[in-house]
Amino acid sequence: MTKNTAPAASPRGGGLRDFLLRQDVVLLGIFAVMVVVFASINPRFLSLPAAANILQDFSPVVLMAIGQTFVIVSRGIDLSVGSTLGLSGVVMALAVRALNQAGVDPALTIVVGVLCAMATGAVVGLVNAFLINVANITPFIATLATLGAAAGVSLVLTRGVQVAGGPTAVIYVGNLRYLGVLTVPVIAVLVIMAIAWAFFGLTRFGRWTYAIGSNPFAARGAGIDVKRHLTKIYLLSGILSGLAGAFVYFRLGSGSPLSGRGGELSAVAACVIGGIGLFGGTGKISGTFIGALITTSVLSGLILIGVEPNWQQIVVAGLIAGAVGIQGLSSAARRGT
Amino acid sequence: MTEPLYAVRDIRKSYGSVVALNGVDFSVGAGEVVGLVGDNGAGKSTLVRILSGVNPPDSGEIILEGKPRHWRSPHDALEAGVETLYQDAGIAPDLTVAANVFLGREVLRKGLLGRLGFLDEKAMRDKARQELTRVGITVPSAGRPVSKLSGGQRQAVAIGRAVAWANKVILLDEPTNHLGAQQSIEVLNVIRQAKANGLGVVFISHTLPHVLEVTDRVTVLRLGEVVADRPTSDFSPDTLLKAITGLA
Repeated sequence: MTKNTAPAASPRGGGLRDFLLRQDVVLLGIFAVMVVVFASINPRFLSLPAAANILQDFSPVVLMAIGQTFVIVSRGIDLSVGSTLGLSGVVMALAVRALNQAGVDPALTIVVGVLCAMATGAVVGLVNAFLINVANITPFIATLATLGAAAGVSLVLTRGVQVAGGPTAVIYVGNLRYLGVLTVPVIAVLVIMAIAWAFFGLTRFGRWTYAIGSNPFAARGAGIDVKRHLTKIYLLSGILSGLAGAFVYFRLGSGSPLSGRGGELSAVAACVIGGIGLFGGTGKISGTFIGALITTSVLSGLILIGVEPNWQQIVVAGLIAGAVGIQGLSSAARRGT
Repeated sequence: MTEPLYAVRDIRKSYGSVVALNGVDFSVGAGEVVGLVGDNGAGKSTLVRILSGVNPPDSGEIILEGKPRHWRSPHDALEAGVETLYQDAGIAPDLTVAANVFLGREVLRKGLLGRLGFLDEKAMRDKARQELTRVGITVPSAGRPVSKLSGGQRQAVAIGRAVAWANKVILLDEPTNHLGAQQSIEVLNVIRQAKANGLGVVFISHTLPHVLEVTDRVTVLRLGEVVADRPTSDFSPDTLLKAITGLA
């Protein structure tokens, strides 16, 4: 172990070099460079309306990405999050429309609507857990199946058209901005992020998630009920995707079966850019937050500096590749190789 | 000998048409180190999985301290004081030393935060260091991820963890595999320490010199049956090898 007495590899980190190579510091650096570039081309990138727009884009993505982080750290993947978002928004829209037509109090209608969205997500999450734990289907295939199934159910329920018809209060909840940027759903998302951060890093639930992803046999040998824990994780991912569906519903005032298309890619991209290792057991949820911030603000930024929309996907793809490349370099540097 | 601490009687286990264990008796006493040896496919791993509660036997009895037991999961066996170190599977490399020592037995903070599942990291770090020292293992830092340790140190953590938690029986599946000479000696010392503390130790190994050095008794499995179960002093390296292979 004489090698490890070198200060650069000391367990506490220490030293400017180690600090600069920390995943979250690297990511914040990338984000800062992006902001500077966008703002220097178009100063409106730094305006409150632009920030509000980014937060609106960011919120559903980060909700899905939080669930995805738990799933990926446990060595799984949840491809169904985008479809779950769409289905939850549709179910919520149908429930809200029915209650509104029945003359129910708008506040109660909205609360029941959100609960319906969460319940829908929970059902998809439980189906995923069943397929993975009981039917022994790998997470990739199991959630690919529910991706298709949830999208199909959305189309069947709506016959392919948007569902509006909620109380006008819905639009207010989703679009009335406090301090120029914060809507009630955005505030809720920020609170959920704080809870998720504490839950993931500081509790036994988070610890077991890392342990299962790091070595499922060791986790089982240590007496952890791995299947039960995975069920909770996929349930959590489903519920958060359901909340993302509610968020989109509040923003648009309607539920569309097409909402959330490709959401799985946004969520996985946020995790990967944020440094969540796809082989499980590594990564921090703060990285996911910054990853989601980078992917959603790059879209707004590209629009503001006048880049043709078709280029945006290519830029995000480049970011993913770049972020993963930098992770490889920085983790190699940390190991002192 | 008095009644064994932990024993199985007439254990049978098949996987499909393959008979892995065919009426096996096995036991370990308190303060006794029993070597479990056999060639590949002899049924050692199957027996370990039954002893540790990973798999139930098709038939046969499991007896701990004179009472019949039925392990539904490894958790049951752990609760009852039977600790297992699995071959190459004991450690979560991305977690710290302390997190590994306390995996599945996390210390929670006091009060409301504890009830919400918040971890008391400091208590776990301090106690991990204490426990590992107590069983004769020194690691550089309890707060360091296991992936940053050398292979020998990882194994030491895995064994230290198992010995620290075991309060009756400890099953060690190939604990000296992939270890250098010096590290193997340390592992054997930990085993002696566990024996001195009154634990029943089951030592599964292919490394016959280690078996002869540290065990009190050796049970030899061949093709799912016990072919020898005698005090270690009865064996020489030669006769032990013959018992394992069945070649005269």
